[in-house]
Amino acid sequence: MNKLILGRYFPGNSFLHRIDPRAKLLAALYFIGLLFFVDYFVGFIWMICFTLLVTKISGVSLSIYLKGIKPLIWLILMSVFFRVIFTVGGTIYFSKGPFAISSYGLLLGFFSFNRFILIIIISTALTLTTKPIDLTDAIDALLKPLRLLGISTAEFSLMLSISLRFIPNLLDETQKVLDAQRARGVVFGEGNLLEQMKKIVPLIIPLFSSSLKRAEEMADVLEVRGYQPSKKRSSFRQLSWRFHDTASLLIMGVLTIGVIILNQFPIIEQWLL
Amino acid sequence: MQSKRTLFIIEVAIFTALAFVLDIIPFLSFKIWPQGGSISFVMIPVFIVAFRWGVKGGLLSGLILGLLKMMIGGYIVHPVQAILDYPVAFTVLGLAGLLAAATQAALKDNNTKRFIGMVTTGVLIGITLRFISHYFAGVVFFGSGIETMNAWLYSLIYNSSYLIPSFVINVAAVSFLFNKRPNLIAATTK
Repeated sequence: MNKLILGRYFPGNSFLHRIDPRAKLLAALYFIGLLFFVDYFVGFIWMICFTLLVTKISGVSLSIYLKGIKPLIWLILMSVFFRVIFTVGGTIYFSKGPFAISSYGLLLGFFSFNRFILIIIISTALTLTTKPIDLTDAIDALLKPLRLLGISTAEFSLMLSISLRFIPNLLDETQKVLDAQRARGVVFGEGNLLEQMKKIVPLIIPLFSSSLKRAEEMADVLEVRGYQPSKKRSSFRQLSWRFHDTASLLIMGVLTIGVIILNQFPIIEQWLL
Repeated sequence: MQSKRTLFIIEVAIFTALAFVLDIIPFLSFKIWPQGGSISFVMIPVFIVAFRWGVKGGLLSGLILGLLKMMIGGYIVHPVQAILDYPVAFTVLGLAGLLAAATQAALKDNNTKRFIGMVTTGVLIGITLRFISHYFAGVVFFGSGIETMNAWLYSLIYNSSYLIPSFVINVAAVSFLFNKRPNLIAATTK
């Protein structure tokens, strides 16, 4: 079955690929949060420059990033449009009833447009340069504090990685059942909704039964090999935190200082309003 | 003899993976909107886990599904929207498990009418909560902080356009599956 679905991960060896997934996840979350503290135009230019730099060092072409934006672009434009026509301030170019196009509205529209796009690009950069399995490890590491509350995060991340691990197998299996049905003359994707539903029923029953069987077998195998849910496990993949990981978090610090400084300078705003 | 706990972990994991697979195979879902919002079978495995293992299994399965969807090609435009649209929206499906015991009892007694009623109510609880979660995510998405009526209305139309048909399909599919393969539900009670 086509492999492109599974993760948008792009194999590579760029600096971004090599950063520890924990550092990357933290930095991406931090960046997204920081975007909501940018007040002025110059601050957005600063964030845009940083994002472009990130896409550059990821070694993945910008067109791949733009593909991530494409399915959402109409929603984003519409939301920006509402923001523009419902905000009044500064020079008013056009006005009718509650709607207006004003310089302040356009500026706010520009801000929210950029915020949408930058969030999408940064989260795409994260998934493009991090294997899903590494992301799972990172989530596990970041959830660790929950252990203090008595929540078993080890079991949770085991579930997450088993799910991830089984997606390709289940895809193959689904493909097999689909082919078996096709060989019997079923044409998928045709007819009205009800007809399509009817065709799918003989497809999902074997899938559910085999999943159930597979789960039982796997639980047996785990038990035989001495797995005990409550015991501490060690991990085959060890994450190691190195200097460049700390450095990448320090860059977030620099970015924040930049935002704080630029938030003092509403240059474009003074000129516009 | 396997411990219930191990089986629980594996079953939740595999059924969640199945949910994810059912969601991404092209002609198993009916896309209404280009950016998500499709009528698909994604929720069925979560409901099955919920009815099999109760609330805890359902919630876990939903949470993992939400995280998987977010990790593998999720659409994020706002932190609040991301949390509401993925982890929260799918986790709440697990609350269908509130009726797990009652559903299993009804199935055991061969009381089909009561059984289908239970499944319907459980699925309704799950989907209603998912709707609420997506609804507010949509308001954040479309409105991003301004008090427009349009954002509320648009989110309402967008989300109900695929969740209402999904509800009908899920009730039908889950009832049918359990009826045809009673061991899907009856195997385990905690």
